[in-house]
Amino acid sequence: MGEVALSMQSVSKYYKYYEKEMDRIKEIISGKPRFQKISALEDINLEVKPGEVLGVIGQNGAGKSTLLKVLSGTILPSSGEVSAHGRIAALLELGASFHPDMTGKENVFLSGAIKGMSKNEIENIYGEIVAFAEIGEFIDRPVKTYSSGMFVRLAFSIATHIDPEVLIIDEALSVGDGAFSRKSFDRIMDFKEAGKTILFCSHSMYQVEVLCDRVIWLENGRIRKEGAPVDVISEYSELVRMAAPRNESLGSVAQEESGETEVVISEAGAIPRILEVLVKVDGQTSEVHKIISEKSDLEVTVLFDPGNGVPLASVAIAISGGDGRILSSVGSAHDKIELFINEQGQGVAKILFPALPLLRGNYYLDVALLCEKGIHLYEAARQVAEIFVEQEGSERGVVKLPHQWLS
Amino acid sequence: MSFVQGFFRNMVGGLVRPCESVIKNWSLYSMLVKRDLVNRTSGTILGKVWPLVQPALQILGYWFIFGVIFSVRAESRGPNFLEYLLIGMLPWLCVAEVLNRSATMFREFAPLYRRNPFPLELLPLLVMTIPCLVYGSAYFVLNLFLGGVDKALLSLVVLPLFMIWLIPLSLLFPVLGLFVKDFAQAIPFLLMITLFLTPILYFPSMLPDGLRQFIWINPFSDLMALVHGLLQDSEYTWMNAVRPFLIWLFLLGPCWLVYKRSIPHIREVL
Repeated sequence: MGEVALSMQSVSKYYKYYEKEMDRIKEIISGKPRFQKISALEDINLEVKPGEVLGVIGQNGAGKSTLLKVLSGTILPSSGEVSAHGRIAALLELGASFHPDMTGKENVFLSGAIKGMSKNEIENIYGEIVAFAEIGEFIDRPVKTYSSGMFVRLAFSIATHIDPEVLIIDEALSVGDGAFSRKSFDRIMDFKEAGKTILFCSHSMYQVEVLCDRVIWLENGRIRKEGAPVDVISEYSELVRMAAPRNESLGSVAQEESGETEVVISEAGAIPRILEVLVKVDGQTSEVHKIISEKSDLEVTVLFDPGNGVPLASVAIAISGGDGRILSSVGSAHDKIELFINEQGQGVAKILFPALPLLRGNYYLDVALLCEKGIHLYEAARQVAEIFVEQEGSERGVVKLPHQWLS
Repeated sequence: MSFVQGFFRNMVGGLVRPCESVIKNWSLYSMLVKRDLVNRTSGTILGKVWPLVQPALQILGYWFIFGVIFSVRAESRGPNFLEYLLIGMLPWLCVAEVLNRSATMFREFAPLYRRNPFPLELLPLLVMTIPCLVYGSAYFVLNLFLGGVDKALLSLVVLPLFMIWLIPLSLLFPVLGLFVKDFAQAIPFLLMITLFLTPILYFPSMLPDGLRQFIWINPFSDLMALVHGLLQDSEYTWMNAVRPFLIWLFLLGPCWLVYKRSIPHIREVL
């Protein structure tokens, strides 16, 4: 592969709107434009180096999906040059490229052929694709008989086994449910570790920041900012917050706006899940958690089923205000804390917030169970406890920062 | 680029680009052809016999109406009506299937290209290949039975030549079928009218004198005259070849241009 894996030069894409349906065919035949432009991308210049993980962020309608579709070759740009070196696999709308009347096996070969692979090349990876997809004998049945889960598993398996040089992911870092969700997530992480080029579009700022080497922020079809994840994301997050205050809840910890809400557990015990959250104030449990600012200790214990065949999960805890905005969060993976399993076989995470410096108000605790790297969300429990903070002084705000008067 | 240069460039493109696409994507093309052949017969009781039975039953129906009910008689020195009907009807059934399917082609194959970089130039030839194979084998057997090995071997070129002649229409019909909703509805009617206006179900000599000169407006009349000339030693003139060839030359470039222009629109519409 050369110096550039993907490049876009002055790429614009607009969709065409016709007042009358017949105007489109009149335009095709005559060659004279009869449409109104709906601009999706404007003058995009972009280069992605081999092995780079590029994040694409932006609000709905900013042009993220269009950008990925143009790069993957699914749609053509209206103007400009797009070039790609090497095979591209795109996880855009999974399964949409299957022929419904063909069997899973035939669709594997068909997808490979569309990607320009020879029959022998596909045969060499066929076994791995089927084994990864876990659809058993259904592989010989038409895909129109598949459940949506089987559909997605097969599509994901094909896309990630054709040995692409570039992987394009729109939104979902993991697909399917239960154990497959974790498995698909691991597969993508393997791509990153193998030095493949990845384009990752997401609303989850947390995941983008953790995974990406560089981020572009799209706004109204243009690149508004480009650079290191922390710089771009902090500016973007601030704009989003100012523009539309919203109920973040646990989102910032793991799955902001991702569309992936709480994970559906399809196979009990297969993946980790939260069992219980215990909250103590000054070592005492009670139904109402009353805290005196800067004096009371808050202790949170999370018990979880560690699941089967996966590394011990990590836990994140967030404290949010009544408006849903996260005030602070901590994560065991980030703090490099190894959790443990108790005698009952339950995973245990215990954390203490000594002399909680929150000021007067009502606050909520959110808990998330994540993979050992703190990226992939297994389960989220929102507002598991409400805490009422009283204070002795008359300070205003939400938190009393550590401070020292110098005069 | 001048108009003439553009015209010839598109004309060459209309012939070369679909063929190039088939060669470049041979593995994909052969897979889709195979699947289509299997689709036609899978789950049926007669299985692989259907490709022969289906055209035979259609011809039987037309023979019953025109040969038995209307008692169409043979020309004094020409072939008998049933042979004449069989030789003309099988290519027509093939043509009708190609044109019918071309009109719905983009919708039929949408699952393959909607979210995938799929070579759309492949589809027109794909749609032509399957009827050509199905009817071609039946046509070979028929001519072997009617005219012997020589005629059977000659018959092998008939359907491919028809398909080459159909390339412009197979580029135009999918576009019209997708963007002009009425078109797909009108196709069966248009094909039926064309069948009646083409001397397939009757001998050209049976037309009234005043009408006979007008049948050559329809290029299928010329093509059928060539088919009967080739396989049944009927009379034909060099004009029967020149007229369809000129029409083909005239249509190929513009039809390819329309097909090419429609490609960016297709995914947007679907």
